[in-house]
Amino acid sequence: MKTTFLGLAMTVWAAGQTNQVKLPPYAREVLPNGAVLCLLPKHDAPLLDLRAVIRGGAESDPAGLAGLSSVVAELLRHGTSTRTADQFAEELDQIGASFGTYVNAQRTAVSAEVLPEYAGRMIDLLADAVLRPTFPEPEVQKVLAQSIEASRSWKDSLRTAAWQYFRPFYFGPRHPYGRPLWGDELTLRRMARPLIADHHERMYVGANLTLIAVGNFETPEMRARLAQAFGQMPAGQAYQWVADSPVDRPKGPRLLLVDKPEATQTHFLIGFPGIHRTHPNRIAVWLVNNIFGGRFTSLLNQELRVNAGLTYGAYSSLNLNRLTGAIVISSFTATGTTAQAIDLALNVLKRFGRNRISAKQLASAKAYTKGSYAPENLQTAEQLAALLANLELFGLDREVIDDLYSRIDAVTLDQANAAVKKYFRADDLNFVLVGNASRIREAVRKYAPQMMEISIAEPGFELKDAKWQRTRPGRQR
Amino acid sequence: MRSLFHLFSISCLAVALAWAQPLTVTEHTLSNGMQVLVHEDHDIPNVALQFFFRVGSRNERPGITGISHFFEHMMFNGAKKYGPKQFDIVMEKNGGSNNAYTTQDVTVYTDWLPRSALELVMEMEADRIENLSFDPTMIESERGVVSSERRSSVENDNFELLLEQLYAAAYTAHPYRWPVIGWASDIQSWTLADLENHFRMGYSPSNCVAVAVGDVSDMEIMALARKYLEAIPSHDPPPPVVVREPEQLADRRVVVRRAAQVPLKLFAYHVPASDHVDYWPLQVMGTVLADGRSSRLYRRLVDRSKRALYVSYWQRLSLDPGLLIFSLELKGGVDLEQAERAFLEELDRLQSGGISTRDLKKAKNMLLTGHLRELRTNSGKADLLGQYEIFFGGFRELFSMPQKLERVTTADVRRVAKRYLQAANRTVATLIPEAQEHREAIP
Repeated sequence: MKTTFLGLAMTVWAAGQTNQVKLPPYAREVLPNGAVLCLLPKHDAPLLDLRAVIRGGAESDPAGLAGLSSVVAELLRHGTSTRTADQFAEELDQIGASFGTYVNAQRTAVSAEVLPEYAGRMIDLLADAVLRPTFPEPEVQKVLAQSIEASRSWKDSLRTAAWQYFRPFYFGPRHPYGRPLWGDELTLRRMARPLIADHHERMYVGANLTLIAVGNFETPEMRARLAQAFGQMPAGQAYQWVADSPVDRPKGPRLLLVDKPEATQTHFLIGFPGIHRTHPNRIAVWLVNNIFGGRFTSLLNQELRVNAGLTYGAYSSLNLNRLTGAIVISSFTATGTTAQAIDLALNVLKRFGRNRISAKQLASAKAYTKGSYAPENLQTAEQLAALLANLELFGLDREVIDDLYSRIDAVTLDQANAAVKKYFRADDLNFVLVGNASRIREAVRKYAPQMMEISIAEPGFELKDAKWQRTRPGRQR
Repeated sequence: MRSLFHLFSISCLAVALAWAQPLTVTEHTLSNGMQVLVHEDHDIPNVALQFFFRVGSRNERPGITGISHFFEHMMFNGAKKYGPKQFDIVMEKNGGSNNAYTTQDVTVYTDWLPRSALELVMEMEADRIENLSFDPTMIESERGVVSSERRSSVENDNFELLLEQLYAAAYTAHPYRWPVIGWASDIQSWTLADLENHFRMGYSPSNCVAVAVGDVSDMEIMALARKYLEAIPSHDPPPPVVVREPEQLADRRVVVRRAAQVPLKLFAYHVPASDHVDYWPLQVMGTVLADGRSSRLYRRLVDRSKRALYVSYWQRLSLDPGLLIFSLELKGGVDLEQAERAFLEELDRLQSGGISTRDLKKAKNMLLTGHLRELRTNSGKADLLGQYEIFFGGFRELFSMPQKLERVTTADVRRVAKRYLQAANRTVATLIPEAQEHREAIP
């Protein structure tokens, strides 16, 4: 087992005229149990970031059990073979540490941020949580009840609710992304301790683990501590990723209207097919999305907010996950201007697809993307740790960062325009609207012959297959 | 013009801050009275630039509530050299991005930029601080934007809606009683003249603290500040806010009923302004009660009785006496009175029994870690320098924060608990969910 140093001198930050930023050097090694260890010393960081990243995430939730990864992650701190939940909470707070678990489409991150002098105690707590949770029955019941209630509370926010409905609606029930990321009151009710303990035993193994430390430490010492604490984890079987496949749903335009009668505004999402995280065109798509809806002066925000005053904000986001995702327009407006705002958003999309972007627009997007990259990704221990986790997870090389600016600069106007033509299309649009249905139903019918309406009071976020079949022009209740 | 030079170091706390580097801050005052603070940090090739104006909703009056925030939006809508939309377009084209926020006490403009864009951004900031123009079309469009912001962030957000009601009930005389975003009817009625008055009132350079943190030298910043900012003429600051909130005589209560999945409860207690000696004892008290999963309220209400989903506390920075607020997000269907009783029992227990030295140490570690978390980024450092300059009696106080925190004793915590957590000093706001059956709409 050996520790290799990647990268060059610590001080090489700004390289030449283009101000190319570099990932600082870090050590990477694979432990005998398969766990990957990444150590990046950052001596000016006031806090130490430690994280264990387990591959799989929501994608690994069994069918009908959306949210299982999320429940397992939450329960890690609720009792281990050496600590009760109370003791764990007390010890974390004693050292002032922040500790959180975060599940996304492809991984669970268990991360902690702590004063450097408490590194040893934090490693002990982190290893205890990841390796030795016991899932005591009363804690399982408590966490499930809280998760159910939390999933209900998301319906009190139009935006949060819209995004929860979006995944099942866009990806369809058989796609691994077609489930609510953290479950809902229906899927969470199906869970019990044996399922939870089994999921932990299968997924929290060396073959799925990446351990990362970024902060003010000496590498050999930190290496020894982490290797000792996590080396005893069983190697296990690596999680087998699901293959990328086309979404299993009717082609758009389709529209889901979620009725929240008390709403005085409508939150709308419009999704269409995008790319995955390691797609070869990703930089070009990233740049053109920036022009379309990825920043304040984007075409979308200029049109809906700055020119028309219809909304506080209109954006489009690229869902960059392991499997092909969507590009999603997101905005909100007063109930009475719902159709006006959606019409405008669609006009912007259609014009964008029809017209060529200019050299000036592309240059601006390049400058913006480069200018905001370092503060958002390379400044803090936490950002660097998240970056390292993603490199490992997506099998990317450090050059994607070290050469990022030259890759951005290399995107030609023709390539950018080709990306616009290919992805920013209006022929497979998927609308999710959350608002007062009685006041917008007729106005939004024109967007999609396939329209479905549900009440926000209906439990959960998933859409029953039966309802799909019934959806034809006209309301179904 | 005078230029003072200070060298400070964050150190001295019992938990030795091994990482602590001396943090060098230079302070200058331009001849027009604008204060400039500079801290160099060459970790990444970027700069955070922030302009803090000492004007916020406390400087408003009924009828024009929300004008400070509206004005903040108008600062992006065109000046003399850089016309409508140009501030953002030019900023982003050069790799920068920006935002701004308004509070009860200040309006703050924040820029993040690659160092190559520094001169340009300084020029644009000077242009709008000196020569903002008000295009009537932009005013109307921006009015729509702010209405949307209010609809989204207050009217369709149960928590913010309840918080607005809480402030309106907790204050009777002081301007903290109205929301920063303004009442909906005022948003519809601001005029061009109101905006012009507000500009004249709040935007004198002498009413501003500029902070630059990042990959720049003090000399570079000051050369640009002299070139672009120093010539902006100064005038009188806003008239002092003389209203003092009268002592509250009895507990107050406000109830909101609306469609919701989960009930909410907020408990507010009047406390002194941020620069008061009780600030850190109150923070320690709030932390012991409601921060972290070992906190007393979390244990009692989330963990044991399982009535709540989350508990938290906070105290907004304020120039005048403010509120310490506890928030409970409850589970649907729980007995709200029982939840309130349990909450109040924990406060009583703290008043009568105080806290242990272990509680004290824990709260200090949590507060210190939280403080350091804000110091991780250039913009976090710029935030804190500006905030300490305005709210805590000077930016130097930032560097003595660890010592101030360390000096808090268990006796201080018990003293502030007894003094401020009084029934007569309390306002309780409750959001009760209405029945959620799907209502058939009236055509």
